[in-house]
Amino acid sequence: MKFKAFLTEHGVSLLEKRFLPALDKMGKICHLFLTRDHAIFLHNLLNGDGVQCIAQFRKQALFDDYRISSQNEDRIAFAIDVSLLLRAVRSSVSICTEFGNGPTANRLQIKLVKKLPLNCTQPMPFLTFETKGYKSAVVQDVPISKPLSRAEVLELQTALDLAQDLPQTLVQVPDLNQLQNFVERMKHVGDLLNVSISKYGDLHVQISTTLITLGAEFRKLLVIGEQAESPSDDRNLSAQTRSERAISRGDAQRVQVSVKHFSRSLQCHLAKPDCTFYGIASQGSCLTVIFQFFIPGTHQTDKSISLHCRLPVLDPGSN
Amino acid sequence: MSSSAVEAEAPDLVCQLDSVQGMVDALSAVRWKRHQDAVVELSEHGVVLIVEDTGCLQAKVYLQRELFVRYEYNAEGRPRFGVSLGLFVDCLNSFSAPGRSSTIEIQYPGPDMQLLVKSVDSHDACIYAEIRTRIPDTISWDYNFEPAGSTPLTFTVKSAALKEAIDDLEWPGSSIQIVIQPDPPCITFKGEGHGDLQVDFTYYVNTDLVIAFHCDRQVSYRYKYKFLRAITSNLPSSVIKDNRGSKLTIGRGGMLKVQHLVSVARAAASHPHIDSAGHQQPSRIAYIEFFVKSEVDEDN
Repeated sequence: MKFKAFLTEHGVSLLEKRFLPALDKMGKICHLFLTRDHAIFLHNLLNGDGVQCIAQFRKQALFDDYRISSQNEDRIAFAIDVSLLLRAVRSSVSICTEFGNGPTANRLQIKLVKKLPLNCTQPMPFLTFETKGYKSAVVQDVPISKPLSRAEVLELQTALDLAQDLPQTLVQVPDLNQLQNFVERMKHVGDLLNVSISKYGDLHVQISTTLITLGAEFRKLLVIGEQAESPSDDRNLSAQTRSERAISRGDAQRVQVSVKHFSRSLQCHLAKPDCTFYGIASQGSCLTVIFQFFIPGTHQTDKSISLHCRLPVLDPGSN
Repeated sequence: MSSSAVEAEAPDLVCQLDSVQGMVDALSAVRWKRHQDAVVELSEHGVVLIVEDTGCLQAKVYLQRELFVRYEYNAEGRPRFGVSLGLFVDCLNSFSAPGRSSTIEIQYPGPDMQLLVKSVDSHDACIYAEIRTRIPDTISWDYNFEPAGSTPLTFTVKSAALKEAIDDLEWPGSSIQIVIQPDPPCITFKGEGHGDLQVDFTYYVNTDLVIAFHCDRQVSYRYKYKFLRAITSNLPSSVIKDNRGSKLTIGRGGMLKVQHLVSVARAAASHPHIDSAGHQQPSRIAYIEFFVKSEVDEDN
């Protein structure tokens, strides 16, 4: 089992400034799944109850000189502490900028190693960051879990494949900050959030307890996938009646999720996505958030980067 | 539809406010613990919110009708309803967005006697809330404030200094003695508990720590620390920033009245209500009053 690659300048900045800060908010530990073509960061794919978050990069988006080999079709996966990974990348960056001497002078190499730590009898696996400065080299070892077994990798791959289905209707949230700001404040009022999404382009979020109902409705959002014309007599109704009617017509779906999960998924804005879409998976199995990234300077989707979250749906009957 | 039918259907109050944050600030100022039941009283002059604690402490927030951009009052008498203060404030806070002034409409009652709040800025994004109200409890203790004599015993200090003094007195804790004496003009806060601590506010004409002072004889009263703390525990940051003063008056039986002023202006960038001298018009101020009952009568 071998892995060795050089992080590109762009790759370092993607990880350091955008993706790792976002992933750090999703949970302390994630799986890093490396294949011949992709590096994938996965949260909560093997244990079912949290927000699933999947950040997938084509190797060219982050690395050059990417070498991987394993007896399991060149696939390697392990668990890693995101905050430690972020710290290692950050300090490597500061070393590079401190002693920087031209674009090729500093190359940040990462590789998988086994080392015998002090006071240990057994060698432990590490992801090692090696930065060569002008006159010095800095090596940082980030501890990782034992690489996943063949069966576990298969399980991870299956979970990943299952998590790829797209909701039939997606609506685009134009102002993620506004939504995040609202949800952060809403958290004080209740724990359960009803989310309904219609084919007309309405996103309606609501907390309802015995003492208070607090909600927000965003209308006329851009719809991707199945869409429908909003009935004209809906215009003067309240947000709640409008949602009820759309659901009864089969033009909308509603799920209940944890406010905490919803708010956590919004932390992905740290990755600075260009567009954000919400959708409800078929049969209301989960609430999906898809973040889209453009090739810098264009409005074309950067297909080498993808990020999406899946929020578990809570059964309203179980409370 | 006849005009009388319209009147019968109109809610007691429909009002609009363009500074949610100011209202959140004002209501937060009387939020001293997690669960507080408030009574809201509506009238043609404005909205008053009253909270009370164990018969010893009462606070009122006056939101005069001039604070609202629209104020339609249709009720006879003064309708009152009970509401959870924490929930009300947390809910209003959801309507406030940093860096933007948002206009909300408040209506009472809704079809099920709820308090209805909704944003009215934009048609394509709307925030709404329905808060369950209660039949209000009767106020258990009468806080009629009467002056202690022919001349009022009163002083005004910078709100920031008052808060600092009360925060410092947390260490001795339990019971705090307030002494006002005319000569030399001075107010003393004295705490005796786990050690002694004394904070003196001396009145000099030239300094602006104590802004006003009226006292013709020495008086001394004790107050429970936890009630004094409630007076400044949630003072909005705008009060400190605006360098405002708080007025304290001691009435008959040692009842302490404390008045704060909280700005309910829109965000400064788009502020149309500042006059040439840079002062906000008085109509953009919410008045907060606290009444604290003294612990033991010690009138000298």
